Amino acid sequence: MSYSPDETAPLFDISGLHYRYAGAQADALADLDLEVYEGEFVAVVGANGSGKSTLARLLGGLEKPTAARRALACGHDLLVEDGRMAARRDVGVLFQNPENQLVAQCVEDDVAFGLENLAWPAADIGRRVDEMLARFGLEELRRREPHMLSGGQKQRTALAGVIAVPRRVLVLDEPTAMLDPAGRDEVLIAVREMRGEGLAIVYITQEMDETVGADRVVALERGAEAYAGAPGGLFADTPLVRRLGLGLPAAGELALALAERGRDLPGLPLTMDELLDALAGAT
Amino acid sequence: MSGLEAGVGAESDTPRVPGAPGSAGMRLACEGASFSYEEARAPIPALCDVSFDLRAGGSLALMGASGSGKSTLLQVIRGLDAPETGAVLLDCAGPADAGYAALQREVGLVFQAPELQLFASTAREDVAFGPRRLGWPEAQVTSAVDTALDMVGLPPAHFAERHPYALSGGEQRRLALAGVLAMRPRLLLLDEPFVSLDPGTRRQLVGILERLKAAGVTLLLATHDVDLAWTLCDELLVLGEGRIVAAGSWDFSTAGGRLFAANRLREPFFVELWRRLGRDPQRAPRSAAEAAEALS
Repeated sequence: MSYSPDETAPLFDISGLHYRYAGAQADALADLDLEVYEGEFVAVVGANGSGKSTLARLLGGLEKPTAARRALACGHDLLVEDGRMAARRDVGVLFQNPENQLVAQCVEDDVAFGLENLAWPAADIGRRVDEMLARFGLEELRRREPHMLSGGQKQRTALAGVIAVPRRVLVLDEPTAMLDPAGRDEVLIAVREMRGEGLAIVYITQEMDETVGADRVVALERGAEAYAGAPGGLFADTPLVRRLGLGLPAAGELALALAERGRDLPGLPLTMDELLDALAGAT
Repeated sequence: MSGLEAGVGAESDTPRVPGAPGSAGMRLACEGASFSYEEARAPIPALCDVSFDLRAGGSLALMGASGSGKSTLLQVIRGLDAPETGAVLLDCAGPADAGYAALQREVGLVFQAPELQLFASTAREDVAFGPRRLGWPEAQVTSAVDTALDMVGLPPAHFAERHPYALSGGEQRRLALAGVLAMRPRLLLLDEPFVSLDPGTRRQLVGILERLKAAGVTLLLATHDVDLAWTLCDELLVLGEGRIVAAGSWDFSTAGGRLFAANRLREPFFVELWRRLGRDPQRAPRSAAEAAEALS
């Protein structure tokens, strides 16, 4: 009932997807294709207003596509109401604004919310909630009211609630935006572990360094795909990166600034280690 | 605290025309400020005995773990919440002094995700709301709005009559900033202004803040982004559980590194790079351009 029986089918199988907000003059998403398989980590980038969060809502079954040749999430047809309802259960979505996601009276109830909806036994819920609170450093806040938390604490609570429910696919919309640097590292480690466990992850971000390890990066421009492929290929195309309102990871920005001054590094470094190697090799 | 106390004196006495663009920045001092939030069970201390001094025209990065009290401190400085003990001094004046309310109106606060508070039907009307509430004559309001829109890269000829909701997220963020800048703050408080902005808009915002800084406006920037904090701010204040754990110049010594780690921070990218290149991290560049200059 809950998942496509075909283990090799993509978890997201989207082709020719369009979405237009009521009354809008143009499509928020235009003719988009997206296939995401088990264990894949797909980063989605784009300027503010390019359609990233709209895509997250559609993938999670929260909006009806205006049109699509094919729109399947975990085998459920997003073009029909029943399919969207099933997708809402099977696709874990972390929304950009955690305020919209926190519903309970205290942190631990919020983390337990999805499991209670699945009617897990109370003892199992308790164990799972403890595990999540520990993973995101929320133990001391477990009885606090969510609306009294800081931005970063709300974001960790919302993420713990989404991840608590075992699923095969997650859509995370800027999950690290409000976090302190250590919180960001904790989330990135959790994401890497889940990827290792075979989850498919669609990861929306404005942090270019978070895309470096992705299997693929999809760049949106006014709702349409402007690039899809390896992260290195996007960042090597500087004119495209600038046109899309994006940037390079810090190491890449420095390499560009060096090139402007006539010092070309071998390759395009995207991480600190690659940069140090390139600087050592170039001297 | 020494770094923050430097520069007390001449600047705070600089004559200025109230509300005039380019007027000197405001000096800010917190003296033993404490604040708690009331919750059903017990008050939660959010700020505890916070004292620091930021010179007029200075730039201070306010950092610390999630929940350490950064947003609360900005709201207390802006006067939205009164400290339970202690005081916020603006240009050396306290709440009991004549003219304090006028000084408070020269403190601008840009909230987290300020675009959520846009409400008017045109960009011009939204930006004009604050100056009108200050009772400025309409001609002055118009010129303040035009200046503010230009300053944030939304030229009035093209943007003034647009509906705020028809703008992109990055444009909305800059419009909300214009609404604060139109009131010509001499002290600008920013709460996580870079969150959720695309890298291009972030670069624009860094440029806007650099121009305000050059114009002498005092900046207090609460952020988790250590790289942009290092680019923009001369000094650093770290909060931990509502208390100041570090204040003053950036310190990248071993002790400074321990303090960063204990407060869930990390070193800026260029500081780590300089360390790993065997160079002095205290002299690390503030931007890619500066780094390239030093390395080429």
